Amino acid sequence: MTFLHPLALVGLATAAIPALLHLLERRVPPEAMFPPLRYLSEAERRSARRLKLRHLLLLLLRTALIALIVLAAARPLLPARGGSAVVHPPTALALILDNSPSSGVVVDGRPVLDRLRSLARGSLERATTSDRLWLVLADGVTRGGTREALLATVDSVGVTARRLDLTAAVRDAARLVDAEPLGAREVHVVSDLQRTALGPGRAGAPRGVRVLALAPPAQAAANRGIGAARVADGAVAVSVVGTPGSGAAAVTVRMRGRDVGRALGAPGSAVSITLPRLGPGWWMGEATLDADELRADDRRPFAWRVAPPAAVTTLAGAGPFVAAAIAVLEQGQRARPGGEVVIGDRPEAGASVSVVLPPADPALLGQVNRALAARGARWRLGAAGTPGPLAAPAVPGVTGIQITRRYRLEASGAMTHGGRADSSVIATVNGDPWLVRDAATLLLGSRLDTAWTALPAAPGFVPFVDALVNHLARDEASVSEADGLPRVEFRTRGADTVGATVFGLDPRESDLTPAPPALARDVLGAELVDDVGFAAARFAGGAYADASGALLALALLLAAVELGVATVTR
Amino acid sequence: MPTAPRIDLLDPAEVARLGGIEIVAAGVVEGFLAGIHRSPFRGFSVEFTEHRAYQPGDELRYLDWRILARADRLFVKQFEEETNLRAMILVDASRSMAWRGAASRLTKRAYADRLAAALALILLRQRDATGLITFDEAVREVVPARVRTGQWTRLVRGLVATPDGAGTTAETALRHVTSLLVRRGLVVFISDLLFDRGLALTALRYLRHRGHQVTVLHLMDPAEAELSGPPEVRLRDPESAASAVVRPRELARAYGETVRREIAAWRTACRRHGIAYHHVLTDLPFGMALRLLA
Repeated sequence: MTFLHPLALVGLATAAIPALLHLLERRVPPEAMFPPLRYLSEAERRSARRLKLRHLLLLLLRTALIALIVLAAARPLLPARGGSAVVHPPTALALILDNSPSSGVVVDGRPVLDRLRSLARGSLERATTSDRLWLVLADGVTRGGTREALLATVDSVGVTARRLDLTAAVRDAARLVDAEPLGAREVHVVSDLQRTALGPGRAGAPRGVRVLALAPPAQAAANRGIGAARVADGAVAVSVVGTPGSGAAAVTVRMRGRDVGRALGAPGSAVSITLPRLGPGWWMGEATLDADELRADDRRPFAWRVAPPAAVTTLAGAGPFVAAAIAVLEQGQRARPGGEVVIGDRPEAGASVSVVLPPADPALLGQVNRALAARGARWRLGAAGTPGPLAAPAVPGVTGIQITRRYRLEASGAMTHGGRADSSVIATVNGDPWLVRDAATLLLGSRLDTAWTALPAAPGFVPFVDALVNHLARDEASVSEADGLPRVEFRTRGADTVGATVFGLDPRESDLTPAPPALARDVLGAELVDDVGFAAARFAGGAYADASGALLALALLLAAVELGVATVTR
Repeated sequence: MPTAPRIDLLDPAEVARLGGIEIVAAGVVEGFLAGIHRSPFRGFSVEFTEHRAYQPGDELRYLDWRILARADRLFVKQFEEETNLRAMILVDASRSMAWRGAASRLTKRAYADRLAAALALILLRQRDATGLITFDEAVREVVPARVRTGQWTRLVRGLVATPDGAGTTAETALRHVTSLLVRRGLVVFISDLLFDRGLALTALRYLRHRGHQVTVLHLMDPAEAELSGPPEVRLRDPESAASAVVRPRELARAYGETVRREIAAWRTACRRHGIAYHHVLTDLPFGMALRLLA
C-alpha cells in the first residue's frame, strides 16, 4: 500500500485527541443541589459496567473515526486489477515521443507516428495532478507542463526532420525524473526503436528510475532513401541508404524541373550521374527516388558552384610539390596562369590573394612577418609548434593527415582583442591555427613539403591545392550540409553568394531496421513491452485503487454507529 | 351561571400564591368538602359501614367471624366514627424537604405544610382531635392532639415555626412520636422518605403494632422522579457533603428505574405491614392528594 499524500498521515496524531480529552479534561461542571442523591448512586452503581463499556466503545469509535478520516485524506492506494478507479502513486514521468523522420513510415496503411501518439496520449491521460510531467520530442527539447498542455502538444506533433538519439534522450530524461522527490519515477519511450536511433554508450538510468519502452516491431519495413547528393567533377554522387535488403530503385536527378539523369541504386550503394556542362554560378538540383512507405527521405536537394579556374602564380619558394599540383590543375583546367592568386614563401605585393607558406630558412621568419604586417595581415608566424594531425572540416580529404613540422600562427594584438569578420581559422593542428585567412592573405603553418607534412604525398593534396586556390583564396566556403527539411539555403555577402547549406534528413533515419530487443534492453536499460503491455505496465503497473472512498464510507458507518451508541444506549 | 373553580384542584404553586398557609388550607378544604357530603375518614365506632380485607395489625375484635365461618376469608368490619378520632400529622422538616426542582413549583416542605394544614382543618371540623409533630434529626415542634378552639391556628403556627432542618433521622423522631401517642389513632406521615427505609419501617411498624392507623405520604418533586439537566453536572446532597458528577442523559433511564423500584419497594413494604402508602408529586393538586387519604 502506498499513499498519494503521505504527509497527511501526520494528521494521525489527531486520533489521540479523544483519548487526550478524556484524560486531560479539566472542565468544572456546574453544581446543583439534588436531594435524592442516594437514588443516583444506586443508578450509577447499577449502570457502571454498562457506562464503562459505552465510554470505551465511544472512545474507540471516535479514535477510529478520526484515524479513518486522516487515512482517507492521505489517499491510500491498494493494488488493484483495473477498473475506472485505478490510480497510481505520485510519479515523475518523462515521456519520450520519437517523432523523428522514421516515424513517418506508413505501416498497414497508418503512419507509425499515429500509433506512437496514441500511446503517448494514453500515458498522459493516466497522469494525475500529483504527477510531474515532461515531454521530450525528437528536437531534444524537454517540455515540462500540465497534463492538458502536454496532451495538446502531443496532439499537434508531426513528423520532424530531426533525428533523435534515444540513448542520450533516455539518459537525460532519467536524470531529470531522478531529481524529483516523488514516490515513483518513470521514463516512457514511445518510439519505433530503429537500430540507428540507439546512440553510443548506455543510457544508464539511475536506480529507482523505471524505463518502459515500446518493443520494436518484429520485422523491418523496407525503405530506400537518398543519403547524400554531392557534386564533384561535373557529376553528382548520390548515396542510396535504407533498410538493408530492400531492393534497388531508380534514382532520378532533376534540375530546373527537368530530369537530367537516372540510375539504379540499392541501399548501401552510390550512383554517379553526370551533370550537363553549365556556366559559372551557383546551381541547384534534386535527387529523387520512387515513392515508398517513408516519403521524407525520397528526395534530397544539392547545390554547387561552377567557377572559372583561378589565375595562379607559383613562386619558387612554394616548393616543388605545390608547383606540381598547380601544373596538374592547369592540365585539368582547374587553374590557369595569372596573378589572381600568388603562392610563395612571402606575401607578394600587388597580388589579389597571396598564399603564404613559411620560409624554409628560419632566419627569414622576421622578414616574412614584417611583410605580412605591411600587407595588413594580422596573423604572423610564431615559434615552432608540436606535431599533430590536421583538422580541416571545411576542406574535404585532408583531415587526419600528420603534420610533423609547423610554426604556430599567432594573432596580432588587434586580432586578440577583437577579430574581424573576414579573418577565419580554416584548419588546426592540436587546436592551434594552421591555416588562416585574413583579408587577402592565406597563411599556412607548414610548408607543403614532405619534410613538414605528409600532405603532399596524400591523395587529397591536389584537391587541397584546388580548394586553396579556387575556394579558400576566393573566400568561398564549400557547400555544407545540415539536418533539416530538404532544402538549400544560400549564404550571401553583400550582393555575392559565398556559400550554401544543403539541408536533408540524417541518412540513419532511412534504415528502418528495428533494434534487437536484447540490445535495446541493454543500451536503454528498459523493459520492452508491446502496445497492450505498455498500457498495462506504465505507472508502476498502474494497478492501484484509491481506497479513500471505502475509508470514508467506513468512517460514515462508524459515525452512524457512534451516533447510535451515544444516543440509544443512554 | 359560571361555576367558580375549585381551589383544591388547581396547581399547588398557583394556589400557594393566594396567601398564607391558613388561607390556602381553608380554601382547599372548602373546595374539597364541597365535593363530598360526609366525613371522608373512617375510624372505629359503633355504626357499621362496610367490610374490608383484614390486614396484619387489625384488631381481632373487629374481625367478622360470620364471614370467616361461611367463606373462610378474613374481613374486618368498619364503622362510621361518631366520636373523636385522634389524628397526629407528622411532617418531615429536613433540609431535603426544602428543595424544589423548578422555581414554578412549591418546595416539598411548602407542599407538605399546606397539605398538613388542610388535612388538620378537615379533621378539626369533624371534631377530631388533631395534633402535629415536625421533625428532622429531632422532633422540632409538638402540638398535642386537641379539638379545642384555636387548635388549627396552633397547628399552623407549629408548621410555620419549624425551620428547615439539617438531616433526617426519622427513626428517632418516630420513636418519640410513639411515646407521645398514647391513645390509638390516625398517624399521617408526610415525608420525602430520603432516609434508610429499614429503620423508618421499623418505627412505622411499631406504630402499627400499637394499633395506630398509619398513612405514609411519600412526597416527591417531579424533578426527582425523572433525571434531567445539563450534559454534565455535579449534584450535591443538601443533607450531607456527598456529591457526584453525572451526565444526566446517560443515567436518566437507570435513575428512573431506580426511583420506580424504590417507590415499589416502599409500597410493598408498607402494604405488608398494613400501612397505607401514597406517592405524591408536588405538582399534584391538594384536593387530589387529600382524596388519596379519604
